[in-house]
Amino acid sequence: MQLSNKFSACSHCHLEFDKKTMIYESFQQKDHSFCCKGCQNVFHLLKDEGLESFYDKVGSKKLHSVNDQHASLSKFDQEGYAKKYITSKNNLHEISLIIEGIHCNACVWLNERILHHCEGIIEASINYTNHKAKITWNPKEIKLSQIIEKIQSIGYNAYAYDSHLQEERVNKVRRDYYSRLVVGIFCTMNIMWIAIAQYAGFFTGMSQSIKDILNIAEFALATPTLFYTGWFYFKGSYYGLKNAMVNMDFLIVSGTLSTYFYSIYVSLTGVGEVYFESVTMIITFIFAGKYLEVLSKKNAVDSLDGISSSIPSEQTIINSGSKKVVDTTLVQAGDIIEVRPGEKVAIDGILYKYTGNFDEASISGESNPIYKNQGDRITSGTICLDSVIQYRASKSFANSMIQSITTLLEESLSKKPKIEKIVNQISGYFSLMVLAMSLLTFIGWTMLGISFEDAFIISISVIVIACPCALGLATPVATLIGVAIGAKKGILFKTSSHLETMAKATTIVLDKTGTITNGRPDVINFVKEKDFDLNLLYSLVKSSAHPISKAIANYLENMDETVKEYQLNEIKNIEARGLKASFKNFNLLGGNAELFKEASIDLNLNSSCSVFAFSIDSKIVCFLELEDKLKTDAAITMKKIKELGLEIIMCTGDNSIVANNIAKKVGIDVVYSAMLPKDKADVVKDLQSNKKIVITVGDGINDALALSSSDIAIAMGSNTDLAVKVSDIIFINNKITTLYDAIALSKSVFNTIKQNLFFSLIYNFVTILLAVLGYVIPVVAAISMSLSSLIVVGNSIRIKRIFKNG
Amino acid sequence: MDDNVISTMIFVSIGLGSLGLFAFLWGLKSGQFDDSSKFLGGALHDSEEDLNSAKKMTDKQDKIKSETKQ
Repeated sequence: MQLSNKFSACSHCHLEFDKKTMIYESFQQKDHSFCCKGCQNVFHLLKDEGLESFYDKVGSKKLHSVNDQHASLSKFDQEGYAKKYITSKNNLHEISLIIEGIHCNACVWLNERILHHCEGIIEASINYTNHKAKITWNPKEIKLSQIIEKIQSIGYNAYAYDSHLQEERVNKVRRDYYSRLVVGIFCTMNIMWIAIAQYAGFFTGMSQSIKDILNIAEFALATPTLFYTGWFYFKGSYYGLKNAMVNMDFLIVSGTLSTYFYSIYVSLTGVGEVYFESVTMIITFIFAGKYLEVLSKKNAVDSLDGISSSIPSEQTIINSGSKKVVDTTLVQAGDIIEVRPGEKVAIDGILYKYTGNFDEASISGESNPIYKNQGDRITSGTICLDSVIQYRASKSFANSMIQSITTLLEESLSKKPKIEKIVNQISGYFSLMVLAMSLLTFIGWTMLGISFEDAFIISISVIVIACPCALGLATPVATLIGVAIGAKKGILFKTSSHLETMAKATTIVLDKTGTITNGRPDVINFVKEKDFDLNLLYSLVKSSAHPISKAIANYLENMDETVKEYQLNEIKNIEARGLKASFKNFNLLGGNAELFKEASIDLNLNSSCSVFAFSIDSKIVCFLELEDKLKTDAAITMKKIKELGLEIIMCTGDNSIVANNIAKKVGIDVVYSAMLPKDKADVVKDLQSNKKIVITVGDGINDALALSSSDIAIAMGSNTDLAVKVSDIIFINNKITTLYDAIALSKSVFNTIKQNLFFSLIYNFVTILLAVLGYVIPVVAAISMSLSSLIVVGNSIRIKRIFKNG
Repeated sequence: MDDNVISTMIFVSIGLGSLGLFAFLWGLKSGQFDDSSKFLGGALHDSEEDLNSAKKMTDKQDKIKSETKQ
């Protein structure tokens, strides 16, 4: 590794530090340098354990430097802790841990190896993708605190998570569904080619012996599909019957089961045609839809685990002058907590000592960092940007903002959408009607005096023909095409049913920052008072990562491609004010009006936007005006959406002046400003209680609650992981015009669905009538079934043509 | 065509297919598809040392198993 003379790399973590601060030592005829005692200890530990090949595996990748300050481990051996996280089986204990600090495969290897070397640990496996570890140990030989200590001793940290609650269970369900689906697909694919041979045989003639062989093969394939893949529907109809309810599951079960037994009867007697392929196809297709539902639920749960793990698990508490690291959940109201730059605040409180800038974008949507003074409120979920601060906790962790948002979201996940309940109710009546009709047909025909066998076949054919093939395809095919077109246009639908709800929507609630505007400041005006070297301004703003500095640097790069960075001296970041530096003999100062007021430099400016002024040797040479600009075509999109008949409402955490200004520009009439996350959700709920169907568009955690309570939630871009996960629809390209596309697309899909449903209901009505009258011979049923499906599919493909050029 | 030929062909093709299917289901159940990156990377770290350590692990597990049986 080539390094400049001034810096040297740590032998353990490979991070580079000033040579003067390194710890040197010579070990096995080689010189090593370490950045800290922690790294040195780990290095020796690995040598002692014979695990030095870790360094070959890790290559030149950089690790975290080792943190040797940890909370007390005694809590791991407490009874309450064991009850919550540990499961025991055969005198062995098992726990799920999340391991912090894993960078690469070599880290996984090292952690597993060190645990395997440990006496008493029976099994340890770490998942590289989500850093979760499952450890089984013998409590007689080793304690949990010793295991955690072992992991900490090699420079990682571990904390337990409750696997029973969330992810583990969902994962298990998903895996189970997946295997069932795979079996279903395998059997359907195989049964189809046998069925084609049978169709061909029907028209060209086929000997009974060949028919028998094909029937046996189809029987062998249909049986696992019906009873393994379709088990879910047997269970569903059982629970339905137990609660005295006939549901769609029951119709599927009775339809497929009777078709199945009828087909067995046919293959034994050799009279008529078998329908094993219908059984497998119906089960597999319906099950595939169910699987997609489970998948979307898993995504939502993953996101919740994601937020919980982004909250720091340990807090530094100041207790009569000395620092102590404690578990986040053990912090009590009144404790004094220290937060370092870049750390996320986990507990609400009041700033007690020092001042600093906070990024509140995830809670309030405010795009600019907020400067906080002593006595100001600090909300959990915000990030401390630039200084070490101390604050007094005003609530416990469980009552803090970020945790209450998480809890609310968890609750909302378990609620079912309204539309699903209605569909279930209607299908219940439909199922009852079909069953009753089939029974009446059977009784009617026996009374008319035909044989039991014929009457049975006719009544079965009523159920088979009613088992809604075209009806079943009417919605999924249209939505599938809608979803595919959406994906091409940068619209991702989490589940296809959202298309339907979206088409019926009456009201749109929009967030301002990041939705209508770009969510970051842009330079709109640049005024030069005197001639000066642009490179000085460029070098100054390049030294800071503040959004305003970034915007200016970007603007200068676009204006003049030749700008270059000088090596400035004495760069100082003045909190919430600006930047100060010197170059050769010049004193550079750049920042807002406050900064120049404090430096007693005259700055006469009147502007409604953020201003950044720049002075050389106390003389103002230029200033820039910055504003959060509207997204391209925002106004046109709003107009087009209004033409579709939707009402638009803007909800923002910003103050009313900014909000009204933006609303006027894009043509929105209803504006709510200075809204907290909960207020936004209340607005949505009020609208819903007035029978409105609400689409919410947002981009931050501050919108997450409103998103989760609205009928359709749309996340712009990939700004906040959480907003993306709780939303139903995601716009990848971050353009506001996509909103119009999405609404137009869903309306067109919904219209097609209505046509399809209308057609298939008419079809079902006519064919059921014919079947009741005994006019439908099985082959005609099969042909008309596929014909009706083809018509439905063809009608759905039209959507593709409409949106081809749009 | 002879009936035997057809039944043999169907039996063999579906039989081979289900072999693949069962292998896949077994892999799924035993968690082999849970963490693709680890399995791919695991090939890089394959050495005698790792083999020994894995052996030690199974020894420990066997010991526990035989103890619980008694």
